[in-house]
Amino acid sequence: MSTKEVEDPSQSRRAKMREDYEQRREKALAMGGTAKLQKRKAQGLLNARERIDRLFDPGTFIESGLFSTSAVPADQDKSPGDGKVAGFGKIHSREAAVVANDFTVMGASSAATNGRKMSHMKRVATQRGMPLIFLGESSGARMPDHMGSRGMGQLLGNDGSQYQRMREIPWASATLGLSYGSSSWYAAMSDFSVMRKGAVLAVSSSLLASLAVKEEVDPQELGGWQLHAEITGFADLVVDSDEQAIEAIRQFLSYLPSHHQEAPPVAPVPSGSGEGMDRILDLLPASRTQVYDVRKVIRTLVDRDSFFELKARFGKVGVTGLARLGGKTVGIIANNPLYKGGALDTDACEKITSFIVLCDSFNIPLVMLVDTPGFVIGTEAEKKRAPGKIMNFMNALALTTMPKLSVVLRKSYGQAYLNMGGGRNSDEMAAWPTAEISFMDPQFAVKVVHGFNPGDPGFDDARAAMDRANEVWDIAAIYAAQSVVLPEHTRDYLIRMLEVHELRLTGGVGQHLMRAWPTSF
Amino acid sequence: MANQQLKSEVTGSVWQIAAQEGQRLEPGDTVMILESMKMEIPVLCEDGGTVVEILVEPGEAVSEGQPLVVVSL
Repeated sequence: MSTKEVEDPSQSRRAKMREDYEQRREKALAMGGTAKLQKRKAQGLLNARERIDRLFDPGTFIESGLFSTSAVPADQDKSPGDGKVAGFGKIHSREAAVVANDFTVMGASSAATNGRKMSHMKRVATQRGMPLIFLGESSGARMPDHMGSRGMGQLLGNDGSQYQRMREIPWASATLGLSYGSSSWYAAMSDFSVMRKGAVLAVSSSLLASLAVKEEVDPQELGGWQLHAEITGFADLVVDSDEQAIEAIRQFLSYLPSHHQEAPPVAPVPSGSGEGMDRILDLLPASRTQVYDVRKVIRTLVDRDSFFELKARFGKVGVTGLARLGGKTVGIIANNPLYKGGALDTDACEKITSFIVLCDSFNIPLVMLVDTPGFVIGTEAEKKRAPGKIMNFMNALALTTMPKLSVVLRKSYGQAYLNMGGGRNSDEMAAWPTAEISFMDPQFAVKVVHGFNPGDPGFDDARAAMDRANEVWDIAAIYAAQSVVLPEHTRDYLIRMLEVHELRLTGGVGQHLMRAWPTSF
Repeated sequence: MANQQLKSEVTGSVWQIAAQEGQRLEPGDTVMILESMKMEIPVLCEDGGTVVEILVEPGEAVSEGQPLVVVSL
């Protein structure tokens, strides 16, 4: 017998196919080339594929569209993935979909092929019920593909649901570089938007803006993190690095269900939860005119390290954030007296409204902690359309079909009493013995009701009588508040009441009456 | 070093000034306390810095958005 190997035609065919496949694969994985990738690395930035690796549990990513390229024949060789890397993977063992912009390929600009990719990911994520994540960094619409009426007709407006949001699944976005056009649209439409310092989120580039307004426009002023954290509120969170942004998305999604037809996941209760409850009253100053940071109260109440604050630098008089109580996800809405004494302004109204919509859409019960002297009043507030903002907030609360628990820590006055869950505007209204509830602050009410100014004879007696009447016992006596709770019992009270109010008839799923409300106001 | 103006977030009056010009502030330090809606509202230096100039005096009425202090970051 000859020792010479006989060539197996089938094996050779497989080898050839594999070689061709590997070559094509390597070309796709090389993205925009070594030089561009190295430049990013030197800047401390992750590339699109590194970002995806961090986003998903190890070994769970399966790509969709690895061999896609530009639909323009002349660009095919220089457009691996057509500038957007997409696929599915698992986050904390749950399925999720991602579209990550690859800025090294034609500035991750939007074009025909990657538009198809985006539509596919949205469709699959929505139909199969999993979160959709956008890792944004894009120069906007690809030029010259979009130019002229043919370009517009071919590339834009062919999908009427492209920017439709019905909140069937959570959307989360990270803005990780220059983001113009659709990359910004998706960030603004998302349920959670994290921004890395140095990134820019804007309608169009500073170059185009400079041409339009005929003056130099600084990119950071146009759409930097400070603008979106403090003025527009589009950034739910600002971080220093790509890694932190991606970890924030993983954390955000850990509180949410995969889709709107299931209850949020339940987590183990960390040891040490409830520590400090015996001294929680100490966080409240003895004087009613002194302020404090309500976030310390929140952190003491909820499961240890579970408070995930959203929009911390926007509308700071209202605190919003996800947390867990007894392992269950809750949405916390609180007044923060540290800012403006806790008086609710229009930014806080918008922030709380959009947070209520988020929680209601994804079956998250609300816990409200109340300490507000009322709404900010005056000409500035009216110019900012306060009545409309206050009523949007009120209507959102009324439309919520998830359980609402309200605890009055200290002040609850006027219309803000209703907005913060007073009376039947929550399912259970409780109050600490430190609560004071009335139509207006007694300091002003003595003047309005009796005509006395401080120092007038009779002022002190009238004031003392009003203070007594504002105490919690009268509202508890007529059962307009269901419970008076000692501060140290509040965590146990909330955990128990969340059990009582569980939506047993629907498996924890609400009616989502605000699913088509805007993602910003 | 970039200078930053700390502005009043409320309409009210200056009650107490806690910081002095030239003083180094840690993030979150109170610079002054305003009185508004019968509440003592602290003006915080969120990012820390050095006080360059204090632009108001105790008792002075201030409006929302009015610069109160210049801080060097």
